[in-house]
Amino acid sequence: MNTEICEKIKAMLVENLRIPEDELEFDSELFGDDIGLDSIDSIEIIAGIDSLFGVQMTGAARENFKSIETLAKYVEEHRGE
Amino acid sequence: MIVGNNRRVVVTGLGLVCALGGNVNECWNAAVNGVSGIRKVNSVNTDNCYANVGAEVDIPSKELSDENFDRSSLLCIKAAGEALNDAGYTVNDSNSDKIGVIVGNCVGGAASIDVYYTAEKNGAAVAEDVLKMPAAAIANNVAKHFGLNGVTANVVNACAAGTISLAYAADLIRAGKADAFVAGGSDSFTSLAFAGFHALHALDADGCSPFNRSGGITLGEGAGVLIIESYEHAKARGAKIYCEVLGSGVSSDAHHITAPDPEGKGQMLAISRAVANSGLEPSDIDYINAHGTGTAKNDEAEFLSLHTIFDGNDHLSVSSTKSMTGHCLGAAGSIEAVLTVKAVCEDVIPPTIGYTEENLETLKEKAGDFDFVPNTKREKKVNFAASNSFAFGGNNASIVFAKEPREIPDRTNSDRIFVTGIGELLGKPRCEISSDDYKEHGIKMAFYRKLDRFSQLQLISGMRALADAGITVSDNNAADIGIIIGTADGPLTEIVGFQKNVIENGTASGSAFSFPNTVYNAAGGYFSIFAGIKGYNVTNANSVQAGLQSLCYAADVLRNGDEKIMVASGTDENTDITGYLYNTLGLLKDGLGEGSVSLILENEHSASARGAKKYAELAGWACTHKSVDFGKITGSESALKAVCEEACRAAGISAKDIEAVCGFANGVPAVDELEKNAYNELFGDIPVVDVKSEIGESRAAASTEQAAAAAKLIAEGKYKYVLAASFGVGGQYSAVVLKKAE
Repeated sequence: MNTEICEKIKAMLVENLRIPEDELEFDSELFGDDIGLDSIDSIEIIAGIDSLFGVQMTGAARENFKSIETLAKYVEEHRGE
Repeated sequence: MIVGNNRRVVVTGLGLVCALGGNVNECWNAAVNGVSGIRKVNSVNTDNCYANVGAEVDIPSKELSDENFDRSSLLCIKAAGEALNDAGYTVNDSNSDKIGVIVGNCVGGAASIDVYYTAEKNGAAVAEDVLKMPAAAIANNVAKHFGLNGVTANVVNACAAGTISLAYAADLIRAGKADAFVAGGSDSFTSLAFAGFHALHALDADGCSPFNRSGGITLGEGAGVLIIESYEHAKARGAKIYCEVLGSGVSSDAHHITAPDPEGKGQMLAISRAVANSGLEPSDIDYINAHGTGTAKNDEAEFLSLHTIFDGNDHLSVSSTKSMTGHCLGAAGSIEAVLTVKAVCEDVIPPTIGYTEENLETLKEKAGDFDFVPNTKREKKVNFAASNSFAFGGNNASIVFAKEPREIPDRTNSDRIFVTGIGELLGKPRCEISSDDYKEHGIKMAFYRKLDRFSQLQLISGMRALADAGITVSDNNAADIGIIIGTADGPLTEIVGFQKNVIENGTASGSAFSFPNTVYNAAGGYFSIFAGIKGYNVTNANSVQAGLQSLCYAADVLRNGDEKIMVASGTDENTDITGYLYNTLGLLKDGLGEGSVSLILENEHSASARGAKKYAELAGWACTHKSVDFGKITGSESALKAVCEEACRAAGISAKDIEAVCGFANGVPAVDELEKNAYNELFGDIPVVDVKSEIGESRAAASTEQAAAAAKLIAEGKYKYVLAASFGVGGQYSAVVLKKAE
C-alpha cells in the first residue's frame, strides 16, 4: 500500500466531499454503509484523482472505488500511462 | 356555469423573451412552427467542455432595459413591460399597492457574481455590484421599475419556480390580498448553471431531445410574465381576458436532491392536486405542456406519471417546448405557461421537435394513446391545459388554465392557526454545529456531509421544530405537511465558492458535489428528504423579512386548505464570504449573525386532534410593500405602518390592543430610526423587544426568531397580543400578530 497516495486521496475526499476526517480510514467502504457515497460523489472522485495524479478513472470498474486503498492501487498501476 | 366571481382569476397580459424571440408574437410564431432556439453558446466559455450549445437570448443586456441590474432582472423587466402594456394596466397612486410582483428564479445574480469575482482578480471589482448578486433583488427591481407597491416574492425553487410563482399569485388574489400580480419567472444564461450541469454530465452535446433520445438538457435563458388578475378587477377596468387560471398543485418528492423519484409519486401528487383543485377529472385535460427536460431520468418519470394519471384520456396532447426554448430553469415554468395560455386561446399546440422517422417508431411505444405532437404543431380545441414543472430538491408544481369560466372547489379552511413547535439555531457571529446536533435527530454522516452551511442550519432548526411539536412524519401525514423557507441571501457561500473555482479553473472544472447546493431551494429539499415531508415546499428569497413572510405564506397555504401543518422557517448563514460581501457594502460590520428558526404552524383541527401544545395563536398576518431601491429602506415608512395596521385588522384588533412588539432594529441608524418612529406613532409607549442585540443581524433567521420570541412571551403568560414586524431592503414588510392561545 502506498501511504503517500492514500493520504493524498484521503485529503481530497475530506476536502471535496466533506467527509469528517476522523471517520475515514484507508479501508473504509466508501459506497457502503460506512461513508455512504453516491453517483454524484463518484464524479467528484474521478475529477479529483485526475487532478491529483493525472489518472483517468472514467469507466474504471466499480471495485476500484471500494476504498481509499483500492483507489490508491489503481492510481499506482495507471500512473504515467 | 355560474362562477363565484370573487374566486375567478384570469390572465390579462402576456410577456415573453427567450431564445425564440424578443416578444410573445415572435416566440409563439417560432414555437408553433417548430423553430429551435438552440445554437452555439456565446456568453459562457465552453473550452474543454463536452457540450457547447445553449438557447441564449440574442439581445444585449443594455437593450433589455436601461437599468443597472443583473441580467435576470433585466430579462424580467423586458417581459413584464410587454405584459403590463398588453394588459393595458395603468399603475397610479391609487392602485399601485394592489398589484404586486412574484418572480420565479433559479440562479439569481450568478452572472453578476461571475463578473464581480472575475474583476476582483484584477482589483477592479465594483462594490455596488454586490447588490446584483442575490435573487432577492429581482422582484423588487421589477416593482421599483414599474412603480408597483403590492406584495413581492422571489420563489427560488429552481426549475419549478416559474410555475409556483403563478400558483402563489392566483392563491393570493383568491385570498383577497391583491387585485393583480406581475407573475412569472426569469433566469439568465450563466457559467454557474452551464458548469454545474456539465459536471453532472446532464447536458446533451447535440441539443436536448425530450421524450426522444433523452440524452440530457440544453440550457436556455429568458423570462415569461403573466398578468394574473381577479376577474372582478379585470372586468371593472374593461380588460381583455386571455383565459382562466384554475387550480394548482405543489409537492415534494422527499427522494433525492437532484434526481426525480423514478416512481414519479411526487410529480403525480402535484398534477393530481392541480386537476382536483380545478374541479376537473384527468379525462378533461386537452393539453399538457410537460416538464420534458430531455434527461433520461426526467423523461422516464414523467412518461410514467402521465400514463398513470391520464391513461384512458383519448384526446390528450403533450409537448415539451424545451425542445425549442432550452431549459430556462426558474423561467421555464412561466415561459411554458405563456405558451400554454396561447395554446388555449389559439387552439394550436406547439410541437416537441427533434424526431427522425426512426424516433417516431420508438415514440409510438412510449406514448401509448397520447399525442406527443412530434415535429409539427397540432390544431385542435384546447379547453383545459396544464403545465408541469419539476425541480432539483424534488419540488413539483402543476397549474391548469381554461378557455371558459369554471367553478373551482372552494377549499378555504377558516380554522384558527396555532404555533405548536419552535426550533432555533442561532449564533453571533456563528452558530456552533457539532455531530451531536445531527445525532440528536438520527441524521447520519452520509447525509449531513452533503450539506452546505445554509442547508445544515435549515435541517437542524426544522428537525428541532418538528421534535418540539411532537410531530412524527409518516406515510399517513407526509402529504399534509408543507414547508416555506425565507432567506435574504440563500446559499451564497456555496454559490460563490463554486463560481470562484470556475473562474479560476474553467467551465469544465465545475464541482458536481457542490452544484446541487448552489440552488436556493436545496436546503428545503434536503429537509424534506430527511424529514419525509411531501407537501407544499417553497423557498422565498426576499431580504431580512423573508423569515416573517414565510409565516404569512405558510398561513396562507393553511387557509387555502392545501396542508394541515406547515413548517415556516427563516434561514441565513454568516461565513467569511457573507462578511466580506456585507463589508464591501459597508454594512453591519460587526453586527452579522447566522442561524435558522423554524415554527410549526398548524390548523386547530390538527393540533387539537393530536393534543398539541400551543405556544400562541397566529391571529393576523400581513405583507406590504413600498418600492424603493433595492439595498435601501428610507422612503418606505408608510409600508411599515400599513403592515402593522393590516396585521392587527386581520387579527380583529386595533393597534392599541398590542401590548409588546418584537422588533427588527439591527444597529443600522436608518433602520432603527424608521422602526422607532413608526412604533411610537402606532403603539405609543409599549415594550419593544430588541431581539437582534443578542443574536445579531441573522436576517431571515432573526425575523422568524422575532415571531418565536413573541410566541414564547405569550406562552409565558406575559401578554395577550404581541406583534412582530420586519423589513426588507427595497421596501417589503411583513408582520404577524400572535395571540394568547385559548
